Order: sequence, then structure tokens, then C-alpha cells
Amino acid sequence: MSTDTVAMPNTHILSTFEEALRSLRDDALMMASLTERNLENARKGLFERDEDWCNTVIADDEEVDTLEVQIDREGVNIMLRYHPLASDMRNVISTMKLSVNLERIADQAVGIARRSRKLISRPPADEMFHLEPIYQYAETMVKDAVRAFASQDLELARGLKERDRQLDQMNRSFAEKLTDLMSHRVDFIPTYMDLIFISRFLERIGDQATNMGEDTIYAISAEETRHTHHLTG
Amino acid sequence: MIKSMDPQPPPTASAPGTNVTSELAHPRADFLKVTDFNFYYGKKQALYQINMEIPQRQVTAFIGPSGCGKSTLLRNFNRMNELIDGVRHEGDILLNGRSIYDKKMEVIALRRSIGMVFQKSNPFPKSIYENIVYSLRIAGISSKNILDETVERSLRGAALWDEVKDRLQDSALGLSGGQMQRLCIARAIANRPEILLMDEPCSALDPIATAKVEDLIHDLKSQFTIVIVTHNMQQATRCSDRTAFFYLGKLIEYDDTQKIFTNPGEKQTEDYITGRFG
Amino acid sequence: MSTSTVEPTDFFSSANAARSGVRSLWSKFLSAICVGLALLTLVPLFSIVFLVLKNGLPLLSWSVFTELPPAAGMTGGGFGNAIVGTLIMVGIALLLAAPFGILSAVYINEYDPYSRLSNAVRFVAKLLTGIPSIICGVFAYAVIVLTTGGFSAWAGGFALAILILPTILLTAEQALLGVSQAYREASYGLGATKFQTIWRVVLPDALPAIMTGIMLAVARAAGETAPLVFTALFSQFWIQSLREPTASLSVLIYNFSTLPFEHQIKMAWTASLVLVILVTIANITAQVVFRRR
Repeated sequence: MSTDTVAMPNTHILSTFEEALRSLRDDALMMASLTERNLENARKGLFERDEDWCNTVIADDEEVDTLEVQIDREGVNIMLRYHPLASDMRNVISTMKLSVNLERIADQAVGIARRSRKLISRPPADEMFHLEPIYQYAETMVKDAVRAFASQDLELARGLKERDRQLDQMNRSFAEKLTDLMSHRVDFIPTYMDLIFISRFLERIGDQATNMGEDTIYAISAEETRHTHHLTG
Repeated sequence: MIKSMDPQPPPTASAPGTNVTSELAHPRADFLKVTDFNFYYGKKQALYQINMEIPQRQVTAFIGPSGCGKSTLLRNFNRMNELIDGVRHEGDILLNGRSIYDKKMEVIALRRSIGMVFQKSNPFPKSIYENIVYSLRIAGISSKNILDETVERSLRGAALWDEVKDRLQDSALGLSGGQMQRLCIARAIANRPEILLMDEPCSALDPIATAKVEDLIHDLKSQFTIVIVTHNMQQATRCSDRTAFFYLGKLIEYDDTQKIFTNPGEKQTEDYITGRFG
Repeated sequence: MSTSTVEPTDFFSSANAARSGVRSLWSKFLSAICVGLALLTLVPLFSIVFLVLKNGLPLLSWSVFTELPPAAGMTGGGFGNAIVGTLIMVGIALLLAAPFGILSAVYINEYDPYSRLSNAVRFVAKLLTGIPSIICGVFAYAVIVLTTGGFSAWAGGFALAILILPTILLTAEQALLGVSQAYREASYGLGATKFQTIWRVVLPDALPAIMTGIMLAVARAAGETAPLVFTALFSQFWIQSLREPTASLSVLIYNFSTLPFEHQIKMAWTASLVLVILVTIANITAQVVFRRR
């Protein structure tokens, strides 16, 4: 009797388990899309100098926080009821950690929005637009981290670490440039400080996205890739 | 009985708790070794080309859906399957380097050096004392000192001594389910076997009795090699060091328990333990 | 209230009550019949006991056990020799039949249950349970009496042994079948040989049931007349040797109840009472001594 003839279904026999896993995943993707939206709104608030967008971001953060609590609760419930093993267990744990990272990203977006409000109250500076590529880069990293999670894309997740280094570099250059400028244009110092802070937020967002990537890699392949920079130099 | 083939010298009153042959040696990784093993019930093949090495003084769990052959393989280790008519095997099984099918090895000597605990506890309808010393009596040992010492040692080893020490002459059938199973474990270890085979030992027990037996398994593994067949995957994760997954008579995957349950190599294993089929 | 949705069953509707009322009435009626018939089966049993007691008690005394049977027409006396004779011949029968029966049962159940020999033994044993007791007598007559040249207690015992052997064998087999297979497995798992398993685990566990079977056999043997008529005949005297004709309760009852003397007939009743008492004692003893500990 050949085992190849046995059909291997992809869903769990216990349908409540299957639904619980799907619900957890859907909530995580929902939280991801809210976070991305908040990040995008913060960008608009910053570069279009629009206070309304900033306020929206600050208000919408509550939604993201609620989802984080819910995902946490759902995850614990699944562990309790179904004792997931192997890939199921890795997926649940990664999803719960993902939600923590998303919540932090959303918090950075709030930070950006608050800083943007301060910037809006002061005269504009051209240097602000040097932030655009950095913002774009960070936003794309977040989108890709989410996509890697959603479609279980190992390569995409792996690539995030390198990109994070890039982002760090961009942040460093930007901060250096502005620091130089500070000595010439003293009255712009508060503005430049705000911009540097925003850049730092973006750099942190990149870190969070990288963490998400590492968690996704673990979920897919059980590889441990965190804190291994000392190995790759 | 040919003494040179007997892996276990008869227990002496002077050396309680020592497993003489293997105590001094470094634990073997291939203490129980199965090579190219095929097994047939008449015309029907039940096991296909099984190859595995079971390490000494660790707990190895056999898991798999019903009918996958895990119990069949277990019962071959002490040749209990030979009680059924028309069975036949190919390949070999070696215990501590010696084939269990060696012509010079008597089956009863083999069985005395392997302890077995069954799914439904089956103490004899005799007193608790007589249950434990049964294996000694059939070996011709009747010295009261040795028997008494064995009873106490075995019951202590099975974490049952305190509960029954005042009623050793009572019928074993008056014990609770969990106690009966622990009595069966005590009976199985009375003769200080090399290996302890357990066929779903907790499936008929309530959670507390199960926990006590699992705790016992943990204590016993410092002295005995244990192979346990279980349907309960949580039990395998709690109790075992190595896990083997069987399906339709074949050994699909065999590895450290941690690896099998966090990241199994075979899709079939993954599908079974995550409840996608089975 | 008919709608397209499914209505839950209304347990209190009158239609339901009527139906279940009829059903429980029918059930009560059938139960009553069962109880009645069970009680009815007790009637013959109690009638026999009552009759035997009523008719046998008057002459029951110690002399019954110590004296010899009275000659025709005489009064007094007893049937002590008949009691002893019955005990001896049933004892011989047990000694012959029990080992054969039990060990054969051990073979057909433990060693090779599906072999042709086992199947043949079972088949023949079942056949022999129906054998008319007189045939046993005739057989023993041909085999023992004719070859030894005389009636004897041996022949009587032999005839009874043939009679009870199938019963002992079959009930012993049932007793062995009733022993849980788990015990055998446990024993083999501990490294016992087949013989050790049978001797130490299976037989002790089956013993109460085997004893019950033996008691059944004893009860039957003690009461049979036909086999003894051809083999042990009868004797008016105390038994001196096993090679002579021997008295027995059953033959005594048969002889005395056909005599035209009232005393003898009363003696026959008393003998019946004694027989019933003996068998009852044997049964109770067996149950008490061999009860499952």
C-alpha cells in the first residue's frame, strides 16, 4: 500500500483550530494595514504641512493598540486550547511578536506626527525634503516586511537586514549634514532638531521592520537569525 | 538457562538500585538497535525496513496514527509477538550488541531482562506482594530476604511504597486505576530489566494518575532505558528525549523531541502532529 | 400550529402521553409475565424439597448413619453402608475424571486451541454430555466387570467417572476461557514459561469456576442409579474391599421404594433427604472454600 496515494489536506481536521488560526492572521494583517496607513498619513502631515493629518494619526493609534491587545489575547487562547506544534506554534508566536513590532511602528508614526505639528508651527526648511527618500525607504521596508509575512516570502524577509543597514546609513548622513548646518543657521536649530528626531524615528521603524522579518524567517523555516550581526561583520 | 547470555545477574540483597552491567559503561547510543527489520502477520506486512537506534537511559517515544505499527515494533523488542501464530520477521534487533533472536538466547531470559507495561493495567489477581515477586519466583528465587528487599525497592521505585506498605498482602485488584498501573510498573522493574517498554501506559488513567506516572518515568530514566508508545502528543513532548513517527508500517522520522515538535523534517510528520491528518 | 419550521417535541401533549402510556403498560405486563414465570420455576424445586423433607424427616436419626439396611419386612436399621458407598464411588469417579478433565481442558484451551485434536476433543465431549447414564453402566460392565469377573466399587466408580468426565472437561474449559488474557500476557511479559503461566496464574484464577463444574458433576454422579446397577450392584453390609459389590444411596432408594413395605418406603424417603443434604453441603463447601478472594 503506497503512502503517495493518500491525499494530504492542508487544513486542520479540527475546524475551530483552523478558524482560530485564520482569525489571528487576519487580525495581524488588519493591524499591519492600519499601521501602514498611519505611517502614510504621518508622511502627508509632514511633507504637506497639514495639521489635520497629524491629528488623524494620533487619534488612529488607539485602533492599533486595541488590535495589539486582541491579537495577544487570541494568541494566548490558541496556545491554551490547541497546544499548537511545529509550524503552527512558530506561526502563532511570530504573529504575536509581529503585533508588538507593528505597535511600535505605529508609535513611531505618532512620534513623527507630533514632531510634524511642531514643525508646522515654525517657518519651513528646504532640508525637510531630504527626508523624503528616507521616509520612502522606511515605508517600503515596512510594506515588504508585511508582505513577507503575508505570503511567507523567505527571500524578501532575509533582504530586510541589509536594507536596514542602508537606512541606518541614510539616517547617519542626514543627521551629520543637519548638525553641520546648525552651526551656520542658529535660528533653524529647533527645526533641524525636530527633523533629526523624525529621521531617528524612521531609523527605528526600519529596525522594527527588520525584527518582523526575523520573526517571519523563524515562522517559515525555524532559523534563528536575530543578533547575528557579529557573524556577518 | 545459559548464564553467559543472561544480561542481568539475579538481584542480590547487597546491591540495591544498581544496574550492574551498564552502570559503569558510558551510555550507548545504539543500546537497542533495529536493522532492516520487516515484520509479517501471515501474509500481511506490518513493518517495512525499520532502521533505528534507541539510546540508553533516555526516553524514546513512538507516535503515529492507529495501525501504523508502533505497538507492533514495541512488542517485537521482547518477542511478545511470537505468542501469535503465523508471524515472521526479517532483519534483526540487537540489545546491547547482541541479537535478541540469537539461538543461544532463550526467549524467557530475554523477557526477564525487558520489562513491559501494558495499556490496561493487568496486575495478577494476587496480593500486591505476590505480584511483585512473581518474576523472582518463576526464576526460582524464594529467599524471603531477597523477596522482601525486592518488593520494597520496586515499590519505592514506582513511587507506591508509602501508599501500600501497610497492606502488601491485600489483593492488588483493590487498588485504584493509577495505583494499579504503578504496581505494574513496579512489577516490571522488580527484576531490574535493561529496558522498560510501555504501551500507552496512561491512556486509561485520569490526569492526576497520568501526571504521577509521567513523573515516575522521569525518575526511572536515570536507571532504565524507556520506550513509550503514546497517542498523546503532549505526553511525548513532556516525557521523551527522542521521538519516532511511524506511518503505515514505516518509520517516517526519528529525531530529538525538540526538533520533531518545533520543526519536523518530513511533511507527513508535520501534518500528523499539527492535526492536518491522521 | 403547523409551520414549515421543525417544532420541538411537545412532551406534554396529550397524544404523546397516550402513546407512552400504552407503551409503559405493555412493558409492565411483560415484566409481570417474566416475574411470574420465574416464580413458577421455583415451584417444582420447592415442592421437591418440601416433599423430601416432609416424608424423609420422620425417620432421620443417627441410626441411619450407623446401621445396616433392614431385611424385607423388618423395621429399624439404617443405610450407613450406602452413604459410605456413595462417598467412596463418587470419590473414585472424581479421582479418575477430574485430572483427565482439567488437564485436557488445559491442553485444548492453552496449548493448541485450533488444532484438529482440540476440535475433536471438544466435539466428542459435547457429544458425551448427552450420553445416557445407562450406557456408561453397560460400558463399565463390559470393560471392568467382565474382565475382573465381578461387581465392584471400582467398576461403579469407573462408570461414574465416564459419566462426569465430559462435564468436568467442558466446564473447566469455560473456566479457563474466563481467565482474562491480560493475565497471561503479563505473565509471559515477565518471562514465565507456558507451564508456569498456567500453573501460577491461569489455574488459580479459574479454580472457583472449575470447582463449580466439579460440584455439578458430583451432584449428578451421586444421584445416578443406572450406571451403578450394572457395576457395583448392592450390598447389605459394610464395605470391606473395593473389589466387592458396594451399596450406594441411589440404588438403595431404587430398591426400597419398590418394596411393598411401608417402613422401607419411608427409609427411601429418608435416604433421598440424606442425598439432597449431602449434595447441598458439597455445593456450599465448594462455593465457600473456593470463592474468589
